[in-house]
Amino acid sequence: MSSAEEKVQYHRLVEEEVLAGMRKPRRAYWVTLLGCLGLAALGAVLWGYQIKKGMGVSGLNNPVGWGTYITNFVFWVGIAHSGTLISAVLFLFRAKFRGAFNRSAEAMTVFAVMTAGLFPLIHLGRVWHFYWLLPYPNQRLLWVNFRSPLMWDVFAVSTYFTISAVFFYVGMIPDLAIAKRFEKGMRKRLYSALSLGWVGSFRQWKHYNKLYLFLAAFATPLVVSVHSIVSWDFAMSILPGWHTTIFAPYFVAGAIFSGTAMVITLVVPMRKLVGLERYITIDHFESIAKILLFTSLLVTYSYIVEFGLAAYSGSVYEKGTFLYRLTGDYRYLYWGMLFCNSIVPLTLLVRRWRRNIPFLFGLSIFVNIGMWLERFVIIVTSMARDFDPYSWGIYRPRLIEAGIALASFGFFFAAFLIFTKAFPVVAVTELKEVADE
Amino acid sequence: MIDRYSFDAKGAFLDKLDELVKSGVPRKSINTFTPYPVHETEELLDRSQSAVRFFTGVGAVAGCVAGFAFTIYTVLSWPLITGGKEIVSVNAFIVIAYELMILVGGLAAFAGFLFLTRLPVFRNILSDSVEFSRKFEITVERGERS
Repeated sequence: MSSAEEKVQYHRLVEEEVLAGMRKPRRAYWVTLLGCLGLAALGAVLWGYQIKKGMGVSGLNNPVGWGTYITNFVFWVGIAHSGTLISAVLFLFRAKFRGAFNRSAEAMTVFAVMTAGLFPLIHLGRVWHFYWLLPYPNQRLLWVNFRSPLMWDVFAVSTYFTISAVFFYVGMIPDLAIAKRFEKGMRKRLYSALSLGWVGSFRQWKHYNKLYLFLAAFATPLVVSVHSIVSWDFAMSILPGWHTTIFAPYFVAGAIFSGTAMVITLVVPMRKLVGLERYITIDHFESIAKILLFTSLLVTYSYIVEFGLAAYSGSVYEKGTFLYRLTGDYRYLYWGMLFCNSIVPLTLLVRRWRRNIPFLFGLSIFVNIGMWLERFVIIVTSMARDFDPYSWGIYRPRLIEAGIALASFGFFFAAFLIFTKAFPVVAVTELKEVADE
Repeated sequence: MIDRYSFDAKGAFLDKLDELVKSGVPRKSINTFTPYPVHETEELLDRSQSAVRFFTGVGAVAGCVAGFAFTIYTVLSWPLITGGKEIVSVNAFIVIAYELMILVGGLAAFAGFLFLTRLPVFRNILSDSVEFSRKFEITVERGERS
């Protein structure tokens, strides 16, 4: 920005244009929202049916006791990760393109963790016993088992949700104070209360900057720890294909990869819907595409190392499991996964494709599918073929599982759509700051 | 009485602030209101570190200690061997202590921020008289001038 007057006009424009997205929605918005809510309601009905009839209505049985529900859990926790990466890690690295995406990415994190949190409950079967996971002693004064990775999960995921929600809210406080100025009636009262009386004084900014820095610094190791812990749900067992030291970094890379793809999936339509083409530009998308390409290469490297570890393990079971993945009953899913996660993203090596938004949107859908397949392949193939051929078996998801998986997307997208109309989707304060530099 | 200076741009605002400080106006009587954080104001008005870090540090240490204390207390209160692991399985408990360190540290940082900024300010919340403005403003409490 050159002159002071231009800067003032830009500040006014940013506020008006970003907050214009919060005005009364158009019909297309309502139709999409109702569709998503309908899907979520369908999932609730299917879950209710499963609770009434028992877990027999799903395809879960011996030997495959973890199927699409756990696949969905890992998938959604993974989706959440990129939110923190874009928001916290890029903040610590002072990456300026972060400003275009960080708010959507943080919202995505919170909603994805909420969606993920549903799946252990759905998978429990007797959901009314979920509180057995909470750390308190039972009637015989025996406590929960803190040596179990499943218990670590409870702490990791609930910490992740809490810190991500605080980070999301804190980042929004100044923008909520701006939104307050533009609103009337009940909405004004709501934004006034949520902005806590923020006025941007010297003391407020001084402590706010420190708080934001600390939250970013806390959220960054969380990115690494939460998906590492999710990976240990598998790696701490002795099952071939699961019991490997590469799982933690492999899962973290995969999580960031899938989450980055989901950011693109969400932001491309949101940018059009809310009219933010001026603030979320092709340059921003190109930066995100580079992260996608980089994490795709990391994930591909992990696929190679995984096979290498099995080949050099000297264990017939490890070798058998990986050969089964490549050539067994689930081979098409495995190849599909390789195609979506390792082959298709290589197109991003070409600058023209990195800057083509419809192409990026299509590619992000491929990656979403590929990363869901990856989790399914990891979970199911290892359980379907363990050590003893006597106990081998095949798992096929039933319609009820497919319905609940689909419903989770409905729930997630509905939450995101509500967010786009309820809160400023771009960090207004940050855009102003970057423009003035 | 309060003197109020209002600017549309950061440059003029910083020039005035610098001028006020150099003219001997006590730093404590000066307050600024800006639409985004202006780090130069810290250089001019108050270079001390924010005390949020103390809240964060104490919270993080408390969370970590609580994580170890809690897990060790529970296994010692009923020493049941599971999976052939030691009763006090420190390696496993690191995970719980690590997560609690981040959780309590993060929440303490937020609580510290609210305490230090005296937020929420209920008298401001529903009032339009004091707002988060587009302008860069300086206020000087005249009664405290030297």
